[in-house]
Amino acid sequence: MLKLKLEALGHPTPSDVALSNRKEFASTVLWLEDQKIRLYTIEDREKLRSLDNMQIWEEGYKKYCIDLKMPPYDTQLEQLTWMVGHAMRLEFLDDPSQYKVINGQDPNLTKNNGAQSQQKIQTIFDGKINVHDKEFIAGVRALATKLNVPHHPNHLLQLEAIARIVHERIGPAAKHRKAITGTPFPFDKGNDVVSANDPMLDYPMRILRLLQIQSLRQLQTQINETIVSVQTLTANPKTDTKLGKVGR
Amino acid sequence: MVVRPYVEELKYLEKINDHCWRIKKGFQPNMNVEGVFYVNSRLEKLMLEELKNSCRPGAVGGFLPGVKQIANVAALPGIVGRSIGLPDIHSGYGFAIGNMAAFDMDDPLSVVSPGGVGFDINCGVRLLRTNLYEKDVQPVKEQLAQSLFDHIPVGVGSKGIIPMNARDLEEALEMGMDWSLREGYVWAEDKEHCEEYGRMLSADPAKVSMRAKKRGLPQLGTLGAGNHYAEIQVVDEIYDKWSASKMGIEEKGQVVVMIHSGSRGFGHQVATDALVQMEKAMKRDKIETNDRQLACARINSVEGQDYLKAMAAAANFAWVNRSSMTFLTRQAFAKMFNTTPDDLDMHVIYDVSHNIAKVENHIVDGRERKLLVHRKGSTRAFPPHHPLIPVDYQLTGQPVLVGGTMGTCSYVLTGTERGMQETFGSTCHGAGRALSRAKSRRNLDYKEVLDKLEQIGIAIRVASPKLVMEEAPEAYKDVTDVVDTCHAAGISKKCIKMRPIAVIKG
Repeated sequence: MLKLKLEALGHPTPSDVALSNRKEFASTVLWLEDQKIRLYTIEDREKLRSLDNMQIWEEGYKKYCIDLKMPPYDTQLEQLTWMVGHAMRLEFLDDPSQYKVINGQDPNLTKNNGAQSQQKIQTIFDGKINVHDKEFIAGVRALATKLNVPHHPNHLLQLEAIARIVHERIGPAAKHRKAITGTPFPFDKGNDVVSANDPMLDYPMRILRLLQIQSLRQLQTQINETIVSVQTLTANPKTDTKLGKVGR
Repeated sequence: MVVRPYVEELKYLEKINDHCWRIKKGFQPNMNVEGVFYVNSRLEKLMLEELKNSCRPGAVGGFLPGVKQIANVAALPGIVGRSIGLPDIHSGYGFAIGNMAAFDMDDPLSVVSPGGVGFDINCGVRLLRTNLYEKDVQPVKEQLAQSLFDHIPVGVGSKGIIPMNARDLEEALEMGMDWSLREGYVWAEDKEHCEEYGRMLSADPAKVSMRAKKRGLPQLGTLGAGNHYAEIQVVDEIYDKWSASKMGIEEKGQVVVMIHSGSRGFGHQVATDALVQMEKAMKRDKIETNDRQLACARINSVEGQDYLKAMAAAANFAWVNRSSMTFLTRQAFAKMFNTTPDDLDMHVIYDVSHNIAKVENHIVDGRERKLLVHRKGSTRAFPPHHPLIPVDYQLTGQPVLVGGTMGTCSYVLTGTERGMQETFGSTCHGAGRALSRAKSRRNLDYKEVLDKLEQIGIAIRVASPKLVMEEAPEAYKDVTDVVDTCHAAGISKKCIKMRPIAVIKG
């Protein structure tokens, strides 16, 4: 995804950006600032330019992050993703009319999606809270930052994601859950073929499928629990060896 | 039937690749689609020899050779794709055993044929795992075999030890494994790991004759005779470690129990009753087939629907039957090792049906179509992520349980995408006969067969020793050949091999 975004921005070598290398990262940041973001005047970029002396660069970068009002991300990947997103937004705002003709194949789909979650959340709050209140939105955004939930333009979808994280990682049920034992298996090595020659599609597809399997498993476990609870009422297995007869 | 010299016949057969032959149209009259069969070089010889023998002048009686039967099935109305012979194919009533065929549900002329399901409706294999290892079981295997023999009545005319009355049977026929669950004979997880979740919703006990019910009632919870058995097996080889671990099989030497049984006299009666009805229907609807044994009726006719409903009831009977034996097996093990089945981790790995007709959706010529899939001596083998396989096997593909012959070995395979495309998600079911029952009775001696098994260290309990030679390993094709062919052709993938250490037999 990052590669696609860099490509869209016109980065000269989008596929060669090695994130493991700090210097590479630094030069990508510099490129973004030089070409796209242009937050500083050219003179102010001096520190960011000193790629030969990483110590000075780090100093400059620290300040740059603050000046850019970037949320406090931990990893280089997150930071770069945010910066690239920011750069794209600026690029877009330069001339929005240029992009007017471009729209999603089915814009209704996203709208529906938003409407659904809005309705769901409204019912949860029993209509007592205005979910479009500025304070509410700010609260969701703050919570998202705290829990490292990626940004989404629809704060209600973000709230759903937050709820999921709280439920699965932080809630009391999650705390008392036993740690999973056994040897983990690399999820990209199953018998199933997704899209062998397109890693861009393969990777997210596998993750989505695992999530789907996880929710199916939860459903099946609930079904089993229900059966067991009914069994406590109905079960009465009997055998009578006198009836038995072995044939010839 | 067309009678041609052997060399002429061969012109209609074409070897597509090392594991697959095509049967061209014209091999038998009125073929709507082509036939195909999967064999390796050794099985190929058996197959062609059978054809050659039938071409000899004056050869009469007995069943038609397997290849001819595949071609006759290809001539049935409404068949789509190809008529498919699996590597373990051998002649049977109408359809060869190991023949699968799919019929278009939306074609009003499509038929359902009891011969395409077989007389032992929903005959199938169930595999239970344990957390025991060979070293735990080897010292007590004789007692364990005896204990199983005491718990699971076997043989012709055997009667079950689970008390049931006529009302229980009606309910069981309608509910399938849900009945066993309600009564507490099995665990909730058993249902999850069973084809169709152990219940065909289309079952209607009212469509089953009194005679069938009378035959079935005392037999519930019995293994039966013929090729049915219960075996204590140990894991001998793991080919696909990851898939095996998904099934709870961690290491070589782990002990599992395989139960191979069906719907006993009940299913047989349902099939017999249906054949009578269908002959009438064929006359009325003017359905022509190449073989009288291929009695069939249009899927949408009264006879067709009645059969499908009664067949579903028989399928439910078989699941209750295997479930009852699961219960008895768990009891036998628990007593032997003085613990509970839970502590022995005696979960059902899977339960497959290899004699059944089911409504399934498949992609044919790039379009999704609703088909009635007949699998006779053929196991469903769905690929990973198919919605009809349990969530636990979504990543591995459906486990396929292939029971070997008494005293040889058995396999667990997994379903593949290729099988889905080539064979409507079907693969082999077992070894497949090489000698007819009568021939094996003539050629083999039962004492020798039993001695041989003892020599290789297999504890054996048989109800009717004189019938044992029908089931001797020599009477069958080599299951390893069969499985290797399926693996090489890509229609399923080898996962685990097991060898028996104790056998209970009818």
